[in-house]
Amino acid sequence: MSHFSPTAAVNYFFNYFLMKGVLVTIGLTVAAVIGGLILGMGIALMRMSSSPVLSGASRFYIWFFRGTPLLIQLVVIYSGLPQLGIKFSVITCALVGLILNEAAYLAEIVRSGFMAVSAGQREAAWALSLSPWTTFRRVTLPQAFRLMIPPLGNSINSLLKATSLASVISVEELMRRSDMLMQEHFQILEVYAAATAYYLILTSVWDAVQRRLEKHFGRSSAAKSRRVAARAPVAQASVEARA
Amino acid sequence: MSEISMNTAMESGVEGAAAQPQLRGVHAVRMEAVYKHYGDFTALNEVDLKVAKGEKIVICGPSGSGKSTLIRCINHIEKHDEGLIYVNGTELDRQRTNIDAVRRDTGMVFQSFNLFPHMTTLENCILAPMTVNGMAKAEAKELAMHFLTKVRIPDQAEKFPGQLSGGQQQRVAIARALCMRPKIMLFDEPTSALDPEMVKEVLETMKKLAEEGMTMLCVTHEMGFAREVADRIVFMNEGKVVEQAVPEEFFSHPKSERARAFLDQIIH
Repeated sequence: MSHFSPTAAVNYFFNYFLMKGVLVTIGLTVAAVIGGLILGMGIALMRMSSSPVLSGASRFYIWFFRGTPLLIQLVVIYSGLPQLGIKFSVITCALVGLILNEAAYLAEIVRSGFMAVSAGQREAAWALSLSPWTTFRRVTLPQAFRLMIPPLGNSINSLLKATSLASVISVEELMRRSDMLMQEHFQILEVYAAATAYYLILTSVWDAVQRRLEKHFGRSSAAKSRRVAARAPVAQASVEARA
Repeated sequence: MSEISMNTAMESGVEGAAAQPQLRGVHAVRMEAVYKHYGDFTALNEVDLKVAKGEKIVICGPSGSGKSTLIRCINHIEKHDEGLIYVNGTELDRQRTNIDAVRRDTGMVFQSFNLFPHMTTLENCILAPMTVNGMAKAEAKELAMHFLTKVRIPDQAEKFPGQLSGGQQQRVAIARALCMRPKIMLFDEPTSALDPEMVKEVLETMKKLAEEGMTMLCVTHEMGFAREVADRIVFMNEGKVVEQAVPEEFFSHPKSERARAFLDQIIH
């Protein structure tokens, strides 16, 4: 068998067994993003706090999880921790590993977003007597979030592909199920072509989502003004000229 | 002369300069032996300052002399290290409730405007009245439009800060501060970041505010404004208040050598 069979590749693409693996990949990614964002936000807040204990703990966390391979983290959680009597289900192991790892990256993204909001914004909020919560929610967070979207998008793209490492601890996501099909039929190129296509589709869909998010949160200066201008009769002419 | 105060005639037609001078018990701002350090650098060095209600103070001096630090300590955006600061009789003693009270009494305008870029002009103005004072949206909008009209940019209400000129942005910043009905306005070099042709519109707005009797402390290099509007010039150097005088006296007969050198540099 020294040829590539497109028909077989297409068949694998529509293989129900493989499709279920895609769903697991999506599920792992979404759960890890949500968990990672919540944990990452907490770690970022700790890192930015004035308490040396909190910020030190946060720095250690980030240093540790960014400094070791996700693969080792997953294997240690899955195979190593039971040695200490700590046991999780396979899927929990994968989620814990992915969330802990992703949180370290997202924490730095969240922190850089907040640091990029100028101190003057906070000072203006104080001068206006805004409460710390209002300042966070209405002034700093929306500005920080807008700055976070591009690096956040990158990180989520990486995460989507990194879920394939969970195959090593026998989570039956897209990669693992491709392996299983491959070992059954030995149509290596055909199986992985189908898997590759799925990864490309997933990352492309995410790219599109990210672009929409950027547009939505970047609307303040560009898009909204056009809408406002369109409503105002005075500005009508210039809008039409541009159109 | 620091004891002389004007009637606080907010919004009424009373002109500050013509208002009857009278003695008041409680100062708008009183600073006693205030120190502020940044590491080894002493930004404020035993500063004493009394500002009567309705008084307009211009603070000037070379860069690094502590002018900005001084007015930023008044609403506790900078925390002074030693000494006493009272604002309308409330001591800034690090108690949250007192800091909040002082910030409600003061409005601040910054050199770099510091408008919230993701909100429209109107949203910038109504945020604090709604979230801090619990004002209804319609009422807050009305209030905001009142002050936007006063600074002569009601037609820019739906625009975002990035779409406005520097002068317009600074006038929005003034309107935004006024929406909280402050008793004292603090200006931290309000025209320093502006193109020359936009300085005038901001100074005119400030003059109008002064005429209405607002208590004002302005850090500025605009000596024309100081001469015209200030009741008193406070000259600072190396963290100290070196000299205080009415504008006429300050400009024609500066007492200190440092003030003379400063005036020689900036008045051409």
